[in-house]
Amino acid sequence: MGHQGTWPEHLNDIVEEFQSCFDSMERYELLFQYAKKHPSPLPPEEWEESNQVHGCQSRAHVICSLDEEGGFILRGGADAQIVQGLMAVTAIAVNGMAPSEVETLPPDFADAMGIRSSLTPSRANGFLNMFNRVREEAGKLLGG
Amino acid sequence: MPLDLEAIRSDFPILGRMLPNGKKLVYFDNAATSQKPKCVIDSMSRYYEEYNSNAHRANHTLADEATSALENARSVISEFFGTSPDQMIYTSGATEAINLVSYGWARENLSEGDVIVLTEMEHHADIVPWQQLSKEKGVEVRYVPIDTDSFTLDMDAFEIAAQDASLVCVVHTSNVLGIRNPVERIVEISHEAGARVLLDCAQGAPHEMIEFDKSGVDFVAISAHKMGGPTGIGCLLVRRDAMEQMGPFMTGGSMIKRVSTEGSTFQEGHAMFETGTPRIAEAIGWGAAVEWLGQFDMGEVHSHINEIASWVAGMMDDIDGIRVYGDPSRVDSSGAVSFLHESIQSQDLALLLDEGGFAVRTGHHCAQPLMDALGVPSTNRASFWIYNTMEEAEAFVNHLGYVVERFSEKS
Repeated sequence: MGHQGTWPEHLNDIVEEFQSCFDSMERYELLFQYAKKHPSPLPPEEWEESNQVHGCQSRAHVICSLDEEGGFILRGGADAQIVQGLMAVTAIAVNGMAPSEVETLPPDFADAMGIRSSLTPSRANGFLNMFNRVREEAGKLLGG
Repeated sequence: MPLDLEAIRSDFPILGRMLPNGKKLVYFDNAATSQKPKCVIDSMSRYYEEYNSNAHRANHTLADEATSALENARSVISEFFGTSPDQMIYTSGATEAINLVSYGWARENLSEGDVIVLTEMEHHADIVPWQQLSKEKGVEVRYVPIDTDSFTLDMDAFEIAAQDASLVCVVHTSNVLGIRNPVERIVEISHEAGARVLLDCAQGAPHEMIEFDKSGVDFVAISAHKMGGPTGIGCLLVRRDAMEQMGPFMTGGSMIKRVSTEGSTFQEGHAMFETGTPRIAEAIGWGAAVEWLGQFDMGEVHSHINEIASWVAGMMDDIDGIRVYGDPSRVDSSGAVSFLHESIQSQDLALLLDEGGFAVRTGHHCAQPLMDALGVPSTNRASFWIYNTMEEAEAFVNHLGYVVERFSEKS
């Protein structure tokens, strides 16, 4: 685990990349870039009511599953690039982890990246709604 | 006389606010709600500090002062709208005012087969009550389309739709497009057809003098909070003959003459429709707001916001990928400029504008049928009012250009 043991070590470079941004506009620019680098995107054709994250101002959808080795996979899609970028970073964080780890993962990495503090409160809540949905889905996969 | 913007802005403490990111607030979300002058805030504080009491039905000094203030506000507000206090019913806002027409007048007077005419431009508040009524009573609801090139109402279609209508419900000024409908012609055509007319003036009242008695309109719905007043209050202006056709909407205390176990009898006039404890502080605040607004020539107010909107929309034409929905260059358009960028999603664009200190609104603006007609799910909307300046508008256009340059996908 990385700094203060709250996020996966493989996120350290990304956290540092965001921390080194000059200002919030640069952070948003980086999120736009990560939106295009989502490791497991969910195309709009698969967006349904059942996988919609409620509480986001923009449309956001997630489908969580396990790979053959039992590693967590977060597939996500959003119409807004900033939300898509947040999903991409979250997917990078959780993909491959054990669902038990995902279920208890705190969203501290977003704080460390300076993302949550630069989001408006409703946007920050939207991110938290998405993050909590992912943790809930991890819990369900554990139960299943 | 031109508006003294420096003096006007000094009446709004919030306009000096710095945002958490260190940027100065530039408030361009006035079509959602306006800011409040200090006299409004003070009037409401004074009520709570000095004479808070329930209005009516008591003989003590505070109740008398509260009642006088509530009714004085009604006089001031109704006079501002060119009518008399007996034709004004306090509501929680324009939405409740429209529901009051639906429940209080339409349910009493319309039945299966009657026709209600709406337009594609309407706010959900002027659509959903009529859809509900249609389900209950079998009335027919017709929608007049807009011309999506000029963003104006198709008046030929309106004339046909209104032929056998019983009620015509039209927005005075679109909250999305800023377009002012030809309400005078609409009233004329509707009355010739024998239909009552309801005007949704939530957006019209902040930029144009609504002269109710002269207009001949039967019902006018207004919200206080878009014209400097507090949230939670508005009114329905009703012609006397129409009010006489209305039955009670919400029932309970205050609106009754006598209640017994056998039944109840009701007050007459506006009192029949104002049940429960009135919104006393809000009414006082709204009264203060119209007194404040009344010191200006509304023609000047309109010209000022139209000039800003027209200039901003013109400058947007020169920003790659921006499309404006509406025609702010029309002299009768209000201060709303709806726009979209071809590659920056509207929520993203709003956040990036907020980063520069610019408060604009994003979404379907409670006008989804209009969004459908325009073929878009949402728009960004900058909307201006009396205290906004050309300097703010220039800074906004510059920041928008910068955001587009930095974040748009270059083809």
